[in-house]
Amino acid sequence: MGEKITFVVAALGAIIAGLLVVTLKNAFQAAVALIGTLVSVALLFLLLAAPFVAVIQVIVYASAIVVLFLFVIAYLGERTPPPAADRFEVGQPFVWLAICAIAAEGVVAFLNAGIHLGRRLATLGNGPDLGSPKAIGTSFLNRYLVPFEATSLILLAAAVGAVMLAKRGVQAEGGR
Amino acid sequence: MNVVHGAATQAAGNVPLGGYLAVSGFLFLFGLVGVVTRRNPLLLLLSVELLLNSANVALVAFSRYWNDNGGQVFALVVMVVAAAEVVVGLGLVVAIFRNRLELDVDELSRLRG
Repeated sequence: MGEKITFVVAALGAIIAGLLVVTLKNAFQAAVALIGTLVSVALLFLLLAAPFVAVIQVIVYASAIVVLFLFVIAYLGERTPPPAADRFEVGQPFVWLAICAIAAEGVVAFLNAGIHLGRRLATLGNGPDLGSPKAIGTSFLNRYLVPFEATSLILLAAAVGAVMLAKRGVQAEGGR
Repeated sequence: MNVVHGAATQAAGNVPLGGYLAVSGFLFLFGLVGVVTRRNPLLLLLSVELLLNSANVALVAFSRYWNDNGGQVFALVVMVVAAAEVVVGLGLVVAIFRNRLELDVDELSRLRG
């Protein structure tokens, strides 16, 4: 019972905060609303017996990435927002077309996969050990070694790209 | 796959898979609407975060469903991709700002290398 209550709270928190992220005009407020979604999702991960992923979600996502966002928002200052009129009016048929197409695709994939939506999922404590750091690390170094190495390449590319972008920005300002 | 359908996964009172997938679907919907409608690149990147998180919820839920931690492993990989995407995206936003261009993805439609 307690698990259901926790699920409802986390799910509602994630959905309401997600709605705020999409609707708020102020970038700072939207970034803070994103923290709400991320923490709620971390709670869902805990319910799904994935404590390691939940902790990484809070440390990397809700802290590091959101702080990066807030730094950039603070750097850009108050004059950031252009008079961002809603594009919803212009793009409306395409928005709904895209959403319907993706939904149809998802439904087809689902029906073919033969998944039982109503099956209840075990929580932390019952069932085999899936989400501990040990289990995740073993999987990363045995079965998923290639994706693991690929992530290191992605990070390297991102770091080099960020440095290049920053350098070009400094040159544009007349620096070296 | 019969091993998967053990007694532990049938514990009464737990939340069904559909609940998690519903949350994932809602978050994906909001993220998609945000990506399509936002004009400020910063807010657009926030919506992309929502999309990636919805994928993570589905991945971890399916990981529990199949009793296989591949889903959790790939949720972590998605987080790395999200971090890389944010770094490059925010780098672009800062570069746009320093070049005194307007922060509006509709205005930034030309590429010049």
